[in-house]
Amino acid sequence: MSLFLPKLSCKKEVDEVIKSVAEKVLVLRFGRDEDSVCMELDEILSKTFHDLSKMAGIYLVDVNKVPVYTHYFDISYIPSTVFFFNGQHMKVDYGSPDHTKFVGSFKTKQDFIDLIEVIYRGAMRGKMIVRSPIDPRNVPKYDLLYQGI
Amino acid sequence: MGAFYCSVCKQTFFAGKSHIFGKKHQDKLKIVLTKFLDKVKEARRMLKAPAVEKYDVTEHELNLWCYCCGAEVQKHITNGNLTVLCGGLLEHMASPEHRKQTDRFWWENKADSKLKEKFLFSEEEMDRFKTEVAKALESYEEKEDEFIKQQASYIREVEQRRQEVMQSTLEPESESESPQGPPQCGPPGHIESSGNRDNYRRGGAGKRAGPSGADEFEDSDWAGGGLDLTFIGYQDSSSGGNVHTGATPPWLKQDPEEGGSGTQEPQAGPSHEEFLKHKEQEKLRKLPASRVGANFDHASQTDAGWLPSFGRVWNSGRRWQSRHQFRAEEGQGTNHKRKKHEPWKGSKKHKPADS
Repeated sequence: MSLFLPKLSCKKEVDEVIKSVAEKVLVLRFGRDEDSVCMELDEILSKTFHDLSKMAGIYLVDVNKVPVYTHYFDISYIPSTVFFFNGQHMKVDYGSPDHTKFVGSFKTKQDFIDLIEVIYRGAMRGKMIVRSPIDPRNVPKYDLLYQGI
Repeated sequence: MGAFYCSVCKQTFFAGKSHIFGKKHQDKLKIVLTKFLDKVKEARRMLKAPAVEKYDVTEHELNLWCYCCGAEVQKHITNGNLTVLCGGLLEHMASPEHRKQTDRFWWENKADSKLKEKFLFSEEEMDRFKTEVAKALESYEEKEDEFIKQQASYIREVEQRRQEVMQSTLEPESESESPQGPPQCGPPGHIESSGNRDNYRRGGAGKRAGPSGADEFEDSDWAGGGLDLTFIGYQDSSSGGNVHTGATPPWLKQDPEEGGSGTQEPQAGPSHEEFLKHKEQEKLRKLPASRVGANFDHASQTDAGWLPSFGRVWNSGRRWQSRHQFRAEEGQGTNHKRKKHEPWKGSKKHKPADS
């Protein structure tokens, strides 16, 4: 099922996608295809891909293939999902330490759909940071450490 | 004795009817009766010479208040088309109920009994009135018919004069032409009078100097300049057919000058892609102008080192500075050279559109 989601394998492709997706939320999942949590997340993404097609475009990025962005986005845990809108990065407060990306998988498809909707509505109103509608208990917990300290 | 409302004084009295003998009541009564009497006098006049008029909604729908009966009465009688003026009032006044009420009114208010007679009409008077009304109706109808006949004759006169004028303008032209065939009929309503006109015109043409062969021409419509048109020659359509034979019209045929069907004919209007683009633009216009990245140039060409605007995790300062910081860190990592970190300088070189 996750075979249907478009994959990006080089920086150029990622740049293209960021620049070209217009008036829709851009979802970039950074991770590895073999990882179990990534596979869970990919499952949810592919199931909701069609329903959200008008609001969002979903792409998978392998962290090994695009190291520039892995460093730029400070990806320390996988899967990490970064959201863009019209080339602008959207920050979301999930109740977790890092607002720039979503770490881990979603508990249900509905959580993901709600999140996309909130980001879309916020972006339409000009907000670059929104608050996540997902219950904080369903958000995976992790420790944010500065450079491994 | 209880509460008693006197409609003449328009007051409620609790002490019985003794106020009636007082000055105020009598004065008011006099005024009321005078006003009422005027209307009754008008009706009495009508009794001798009834007037019948065409029914006019604005004027003939009046109601009168009869003080004796304490009720509204229609002043005129009408059947929709015609009105008998004051007919309603007269009928009411002649009725026995009104007589009774008038008596009662006089007794209660202690009014002057001499006046009472003036407000009553007898049955004989009513009968007389009715006959008079019938006569008046007849004469009215006669007058109406007269009027209609006058109108009709006037219209006929006007029409005739018009025909004369028409004919007089056409006659000088018809002298120089051969007869045009059977005379054309005017509107059917004038067929009988057209016969008269025909004779008249023939007579009139005879009076004028000129050939009388043109008399057959009778045209009540405009000739349309048909006598002065330029002749451009007979159109030979035996090769290609024309509109009468049902041939293909020229605008549906292929243009013989252009080379075959391979070349694209110049299309009028925008091409398909332009149309789609236009539709997209329309949709964009509907989106809110304050949305994130509204002014983001999606088609901008960026180089290999471009990074999107991303507020990083461990940076200080504003979003657009994070790129600069990143580049600095990367540079530091590879070159082992400490680059100056200048947060007040933005990386303006690589900005397609930034917050």
